[in-house]
Amino acid sequence: MEDCLAKKMEITVSEAEKRTGKNAMNIQETYTAYLIETRAVESQSEGQCAPVDSLWRRYSEFELLRNYLSVTYPHIVVPPLPEKRADFVWHKLSADNMDPDFVERRRIGLENFLLRVASHPVLCQDKIFYSFLTQEGGWKDMVNETGFQLKADSRLKALNATFRVKNPDKRFTELKHYSDELQSVISHLLRVRARVADRLYGVYKVHGNYGRVFSEWSAIEKEMGDGLQSAGHHMDVYAASIDDILEEEEHYADLLKEYLFYAEALRAVCRKHELMQYDLEMAAQDLTSKKQQCEELATGTVRTFSLKGVTSKLFGQETAEQREAKIKILEEQIQEGEEQLKSKNLEGRDFVKSAWADIERFKEQKNHDLKEALISYAVLQISMCKKGIQVWTNAKECFSKM
Amino acid sequence: AAGAPKPLPSSGPKSLREMPHPLATSSSEEIGPALTPSPDLLLPRSIADKDLGLPNGTPVDTSSPASSSSLLNRLQLDDDLDGETRDLFVTVDDPKKHVCTMETYITYRVTTKTTRAEFDLPEYSVRRRYQDFDWLRNKLEESQPTHLIPPLPEKFVVKGVVDRFSEEFVETRRKALDKFLKRITDHPVLSFNEHFNVFLTAKDLNAYKKQGMALLSKMGESVKYVTGGYKVRSRPLEFAAIGEYLDTFSLKLGTIDRIAQRIIKEQLEYLVELREYGPVYSTWGGLEVELSEPLEGVSACIGNCCTALEELSEDMTEDFLPVLREYILYSESMKNVLKKRDQVQAEYEAKLEAIALKKEDRPKVPTDVEKCQDRVECFNADLKADMERWQNNKRQDFRQLLMGMADKNIQYYEKCLTAWESIIPLLQDKPETK
Repeated sequence: MEDCLAKKMEITVSEAEKRTGKNAMNIQETYTAYLIETRAVESQSEGQCAPVDSLWRRYSEFELLRNYLSVTYPHIVVPPLPEKRADFVWHKLSADNMDPDFVERRRIGLENFLLRVASHPVLCQDKIFYSFLTQEGGWKDMVNETGFQLKADSRLKALNATFRVKNPDKRFTELKHYSDELQSVISHLLRVRARVADRLYGVYKVHGNYGRVFSEWSAIEKEMGDGLQSAGHHMDVYAASIDDILEEEEHYADLLKEYLFYAEALRAVCRKHELMQYDLEMAAQDLTSKKQQCEELATGTVRTFSLKGVTSKLFGQETAEQREAKIKILEEQIQEGEEQLKSKNLEGRDFVKSAWADIERFKEQKNHDLKEALISYAVLQISMCKKGIQVWTNAKECFSKM
Repeated sequence: AAGAPKPLPSSGPKSLREMPHPLATSSSEEIGPALTPSPDLLLPRSIADKDLGLPNGTPVDTSSPASSSSLLNRLQLDDDLDGETRDLFVTVDDPKKHVCTMETYITYRVTTKTTRAEFDLPEYSVRRRYQDFDWLRNKLEESQPTHLIPPLPEKFVVKGVVDRFSEEFVETRRKALDKFLKRITDHPVLSFNEHFNVFLTAKDLNAYKKQGMALLSKMGESVKYVTGGYKVRSRPLEFAAIGEYLDTFSLKLGTIDRIAQRIIKEQLEYLVELREYGPVYSTWGGLEVELSEPLEGVSACIGNCCTALEELSEDMTEDFLPVLREYILYSESMKNVLKKRDQVQAEYEAKLEAIALKKEDRPKVPTDVEKCQDRVECFNADLKADMERWQNNKRQDFRQLLMGMADKNIQYYEKCLTAWESIIPLLQDKPETK
């Protein structure tokens, strides 16, 4: 962590701005641009502040960056972006992408993403990432020139395809299972939390009606009037207090969401491993069959049914030269195959080693972050309870003066 | 004069209803013949023997008569509205279910302790059912038409499918019946009513009920007032004001009732979601290793909040709503009494008009009109006095009711606060320190 970018550079996503422009299909569209500000962390002991660099990026560019990182570092659990569309909303929240609250929460999420990448021991050293932060023009071209798209396409197809691995790595299978369960439980939690927030909102707001009716009632009372009126005011305060409480709770929900998406990233690593394993098994299988073919040609025995066997029966045997040629080709292929298998094995072992290192790092981060999240949630609940006690104590005092 | 029947400001979470009645104990200790029955007697010794507590719940050392009489003085200061000393105490408790061939019903024990001369014994204990209370109320309305008779809880269960024999329903009803009798006990005129006396004392109330008609005729004085047939010219200002007040008052109470019901409904819906929410943390805890305990802790916490919320909603349903409804009924019956008063005034006005038209000088007519005038003036005086008393009691009752509502909410939040504060150390616990 000593070398990571986050220690050397201050990164913030400080502003969001609505823009209009023509997109790739020359159609006018409205989008939001985010201002990324960076500043080198120099020795600030002399009060000298390094200059701030800044540039604007839109969400799609963040997506491009993340895709690039995912493809280029398949063994890393790449930090996720904040959600593209508002999900898990309860009635008061807007599902509109242009809604200022949504934009604000997204701004925070994007900053968090950049900080996560910048503090990752491997990812922070990536040049494309650095350019994303510092080079406004021509960055997109730079990314495309890496050719990661080609890898991305083939891997994407493979990731979605169903295939069976004969000898799966138990640890990765368990991890994939865990990430599936984690996604499921966090989604469930977020859905129910949204409903809970909705209901709680209702409870608080209905109390506002007491404010009005106490006021009306106080008008016909003599001694009771003042007490009723002031108690009614406290009921209004109570009803209004829920807005801030639930807004704060959204930050907790956002953190849970981050780990929901992190679970996806974790799953992707497992899937990539599966793919590698499958490739390996296919390559080994292919090699075995070629060796077998070679043997058959050399010894003249046909062990398995093959088209060659049939055609040779129909059209006569091959000449000795033909057979020799075939054997030579096969031997070349076999040699190539063995080399490939060797490198694939190495690749696989490297992948597993570095993937597990990152998975361990991720586990620690996750446990730490979620614990902090739960603490902040408890603190939020405590604050809400204290506010409730305060308001009702005030109301009680007003009632006592009736 | 201990004041438990009248609500007093409570500084502690215990509502006054939960306070032991100064003379209500399970012991069968009698106020023996050693005490001279006199309305002025403060009964210090008997009270000193019983379980007493200050309104805020702290028990009182009653070993010395001095301390208990100072207690009584304290209670009396807040309580003594009419300058009367208490000599009649009535309590409703101990509901019991009776299963007979024809029907099943509940009876309540009505305990009376008194020093009044109108009562043969200083203490009574009888069992009464709802229809007996209903009978009493009707009798009081008949025999004391110029006074405000407190309302009874509703006869039939109106909304929803409520179990007539459920503990909550019976307890709510018991409280209302207790309140009903205490309000009559408080009343300087109604508490001396003959029917009330019989209700409190007779072993066989049914026999008395049958004799009812015969008894009335023996009483001589006709207490029947003419109702109907006359139109009042105008209500005197003060009664018009009362009428207007009652209209707005019952409207506002109706609104408050609806709001309270809505809040309870929203709370129960919130509770449904919370009940699903808590266990999800537990499920998650099952997936994790290091986070297992913190997640379980949060799940348990939410469970505690659910319990607290359930208690709050129950309390509001059982303690808050019935009292509101009682006052709405009270307003309705008061408006009826106002109408009766109007009738009496109308009769008087009509008779006056008749004289003016006749222009005769018959000796019979003036007496007749005089009687009417008397009736009007009596009615007005009784009603005015009752209204004042009612206003004061209303203020006390609502003060207690609303403070109680605030209290229940405070308790709810305190329970939740305790739950969440207690898991903070659990959440902050580092595995290395274990």
